[in-house]
Amino acid sequence: MESDLVQPTIERIRRWSGVECPNAAARHGLSDFPPLLAELEALRGTLVFEDEPSSFEAALQAEKEKTP
Amino acid sequence: MNAPVDATDLATLSMTEAADAIARGEITASALLEACLARIEAHDGKVNSFIRLDREEAREAAAAADKARAAGKPLGPLHGVPVAHKDMYYRAGKVSTCGSKIRRDFVPTVTATVLERLDAAGAIDLGTLNMAEFAQNPTGHNAHFGDCHNPWNLPYCTGGSSSGSGASVAARFVTAALGSDTGGSIRLPASLCGVTGLKPTQTRVSRFGVMPLSFSADNVGPLVRTARDAARFLRVVAGHDPKDPTSAREPVADYEAALTGDIRGLRIAVPQQWFFDGADTVVVDAFEAALEVLKARGATVERISVPSLRAVTAYGALLSRVEGAAIHANWMRGRPGDYSIHLSARLFGGYAIPGHLYVEALSRRGPVLRQFCTEAFGRFDLVATPTLRTRVPTLAETDIDADPQNWSRFMAVSANTRPFNYLGLPVVSIPCGFDDRGLPIGLQLAGRPFAEARVLRAADAFQRDTDWHRRVPPLG
Repeated sequence: MESDLVQPTIERIRRWSGVECPNAAARHGLSDFPPLLAELEALRGTLVFEDEPSSFEAALQAEKEKTP
Repeated sequence: MNAPVDATDLATLSMTEAADAIARGEITASALLEACLARIEAHDGKVNSFIRLDREEAREAAAAADKARAAGKPLGPLHGVPVAHKDMYYRAGKVSTCGSKIRRDFVPTVTATVLERLDAAGAIDLGTLNMAEFAQNPTGHNAHFGDCHNPWNLPYCTGGSSSGSGASVAARFVTAALGSDTGGSIRLPASLCGVTGLKPTQTRVSRFGVMPLSFSADNVGPLVRTARDAARFLRVVAGHDPKDPTSAREPVADYEAALTGDIRGLRIAVPQQWFFDGADTVVVDAFEAALEVLKARGATVERISVPSLRAVTAYGALLSRVEGAAIHANWMRGRPGDYSIHLSARLFGGYAIPGHLYVEALSRRGPVLRQFCTEAFGRFDLVATPTLRTRVPTLAETDIDADPQNWSRFMAVSANTRPFNYLGLPVVSIPCGFDDRGLPIGLQLAGRPFAEARVLRAADAFQRDTDWHRRVPPLG
């Protein structure tokens, strides 16, 4: 049973990206999204207003081993 | 430094054993190369690990290497050892297919910094290796150049995307191979083929001249026989590169000097979430036995809870898919039929992910890394997990092109490796046993950022007491 998410998502991708659904496997792959959506829903609210991508490089330095 | 060699088959020497033996004059680079070429001629028709074999150029380079040694010239740390690279490392003037139909005739105008560093260290470049199309699958399927086959049992997956890298090192075709790792693409073929694979810390190795997949998570690293090989290889290729502004300025350690065998007091954490969900018993048993080996050398092991893994796995699922979709958009619009079915299907899903969630995944990466380090490394030095939580699957049962119903099995292959790409941590996979079908099992060891020396020290200590990494596939 295909998720009801699939067809609207295909339409949205066509509209926003100009990419057509290439094959049945792509449709199947979209059906795989609901568990990921549930996980992301559980993380809502964790992003802080000041968070930004550059914090990753800073964290790599901050968390590195002190005495290798 | 390794002990003097007495090998009847030179191709079975590890990279460092071979380099040290050449340096001491015990063997020649030419003899070693011929031993490797003989194995390739005999067996690669079945394994399909090479895309292009530069046989005569390698012979000329090996002869020059022997001449240089005879003349007493300074020798590099990899002088005379045969290596090959996943066909996505650019060498100016040479075709780099990226495992694809779309780039089948692509001739780059630049040479990857890692290839230049390997050349300068004296390595002999044997050519380019099979890989997943555009480095985008964890199994080793390739519709354009033929699937790569596991040397231990040909119908089984090699792991991907560095399929030819894992298979060629396992089959003793080369002493070392370059792979790349965005979601497990070094560690999976290392695990499935029974060799050692190192994904360094994000930014540790230059990516200049390397085909992009996901700029946030792409890593360059070796597939080799031993932790000592990985240590020497990493020292050659690591370090800041002005051509790759994202490469770290962190000093490069003498990783090989750290391999003392002494891991007394080393504290190892085993996360109880995620990594064992649906794991096969034979894999868990081998993993537990591996922990006992490390404990016998003085390490301690504790099971821990790592709540941040939920964010790691969810956000980690977004980055490479969105970035891959973005850089392939022109071809997905104009040449979708030139991709294999599983790749165009996978890329297509990337366009469905909203931009704000992608930015959230990037922006949360630093805080999540800090949280993970607190949870996992607050009281511990390393994290240990199985590299692949199930037995090695066959090519047939993970073939999405043949049947989309294989999607879940296909995606599950990288479940245990992908989290460390989001975290950017250094992680090694080493062989730790075989399953009931004779396929290898891998142990994954991860450390803090830039803790490659500690990760490799533990891997080397393990390999001093085991021989899984010494076993050779019975190719007939």
